[in-house]
Amino acid sequence: MDLVRDVLDKRLMDREDCEMGRVDGLVMRIGENSQPRITHIEIGGRTLWMRLHPGIAKLAATLARRWGPKRTTTVRIPWSHVVATGKELKLDVEARETGAIDWEIWIARHIIERIPGGGHEEEE
Amino acid sequence: MKKFLQIALGIVTSVGGFLEIGSVATAAQAGASFGYKLLWAIFIGTICLIFLVEMSGRFSAVSKHTIVDAMRERFGFPFFSIVLLGMVLVAFMVLVAELGGIGLSLQILTGIGFPWWAIPVSFVVWLLMWKGTFGLIENGVSLLGLVTICFVVAAVKLNPDWHGAARGLLPSLEGDQKAKYGFIAVSILGATISPYLMYFYSSGAIEDEWDVSYIPINRIIAVFGMSFGGVLSMGVLVTSALAIQPNGIDIDKFEQVALLMTTALPRWGFYLFAVSMLVACLGAALEISLAISYFFAQGFGWNWSESLTPSKDARFCFTYTVIILVAAIPLLLHADPIKVTMISMALTAATLPLAIVPFLFLMNDPIYLGEHRNGWISNSVVGIVILISFVLAVISIPLQIIGG
Amino acid sequence: MEINIEQLLGTKVCDIDGNDVGRIEEFRVERDGKSCLVDAYLIGASALIQRLSAWTLVRPIERFLNARKIYTIYRVPWQDMDLTDPRHPRLRVRKRDLRHAK
Repeated sequence: MDLVRDVLDKRLMDREDCEMGRVDGLVMRIGENSQPRITHIEIGGRTLWMRLHPGIAKLAATLARRWGPKRTTTVRIPWSHVVATGKELKLDVEARETGAIDWEIWIARHIIERIPGGGHEEEE
Repeated sequence: MKKFLQIALGIVTSVGGFLEIGSVATAAQAGASFGYKLLWAIFIGTICLIFLVEMSGRFSAVSKHTIVDAMRERFGFPFFSIVLLGMVLVAFMVLVAELGGIGLSLQILTGIGFPWWAIPVSFVVWLLMWKGTFGLIENGVSLLGLVTICFVVAAVKLNPDWHGAARGLLPSLEGDQKAKYGFIAVSILGATISPYLMYFYSSGAIEDEWDVSYIPINRIIAVFGMSFGGVLSMGVLVTSALAIQPNGIDIDKFEQVALLMTTALPRWGFYLFAVSMLVACLGAALEISLAISYFFAQGFGWNWSESLTPSKDARFCFTYTVIILVAAIPLLLHADPIKVTMISMALTAATLPLAIVPFLFLMNDPIYLGEHRNGWISNSVVGIVILISFVLAVISIPLQIIGG
Repeated sequence: MEINIEQLLGTKVCDIDGNDVGRIEEFRVERDGKSCLVDAYLIGASALIQRLSAWTLVRPIERFLNARKIYTIYRVPWQDMDLTDPRHPRLRVRKRDLRHAK
């Protein structure tokens, strides 16, 4: 399997087939003499903006401190939760618990649901 | 039988949704200034559009990905964000022009200036997005758009010189006024070949759950739908050549474009024109808002679907809400929609390579398309047209700015 | 040490003598149950395309061209890559000893 072609930037689905975002980064652990291993998938936040430019990452962090869900660390999901790869990556987690959709929930609750006709995010 | 109905609906909605302020303004200007001489630009633009629309539909039907999905996945986030920036900025300008078009239509119907209409119009567009489903927008508004057939009716009524028109289908270099000729040619290409259409069709194929079996249907809809739509554009140009060119008027006001219809159909022309433009621009405004929001949502991996309740795809809905709100601002500040139209059409043509080059790579990718990859004909046609528009844009836009 | 692989993408790699080899284009991994081990790095080398690669716009298209085998790609086993300075990866072998990727 090739990481850039088959994993990076692919969509992520949780165990209920909910959208979780995309693979924005992959963390590789390197040891002195041991084979490097991929330990985590990173989603959104600093990781994503760092791919453009560190300056943009700083700006995004400043804006996120003032507005939006209060989250201080990038969403990290251990690689061991990857169930299947292919057109998208399937993970053995629940999207809500990982924090991957914090922004979606925040915007739903604070903006969308306040407008008539917006519905309720909890509804099924 | 079901497939036949789908084909019919597809063609009809393509025709109804074809015209918008860009295609009308550029075709009207072309006819008024150069008679039939620029028909070839519409012709070549339409051919390219047929190929692009067919490719967009085929790509999503086979790969079950939208073009934007694939662009992020194959080219990575940094490249994707550059395309995002370019496409969104230009599409936003076109959205401002379309909202302005609705405003201008209401202005000539009611006498109330278009800046006053900016907020109500934006609100209505937003409400349709908020409450409507993809089916409503794709089918409902586009069916209403069939009223734009009146432009072809007007053209026929004015007894055009069919031989002269046919000659206009062959590219020719204009003697004097080369810069203006080139600029209008570029603008026509930009109005006809709009990248946002590709993203819209591709997302639509996913919303409608197309699969490999839809490839023949897609082909038929693309060929006939876009061809008939192109005929509508030509109808505007021909009518303009007959109604306006003899008077030597240069079109730079919306009211002058109405002359097209009133000359041909004195009694109903005025109202037909206003209503046609209103519906056409409304349809385009909805499509562009959707296309921009799709770009963000698909690129970043958010939930997206026009048919979901807003709270289920919050970021997607938030995006189009912000876009439509912000698009009203230039109009409130009295920006001239016709000027914005002409500039945004030329910019569209100039930035076509940014959208099409990655797309051509994707259309040749075996991972996404397998055996349904592009043949050399598709690649060549699109490649050549893009080259033409880019070269023309590089030459004409500076010349027009210096000269005009 | 932890490194984000997307930051390594496109970084220039030198061999043990300091000669330019190319840029890191891809990471080949093997999945072993619940873990994912990096097996090799693919380094893309082409003077012309490398010069063009300085533009972010061209780099991904260049990566795309990889699949078409339009220019050379080396396969570097994980043991031969020294990432102690992630911004300046170095090989532990000479350029001429490198194998071409399949």
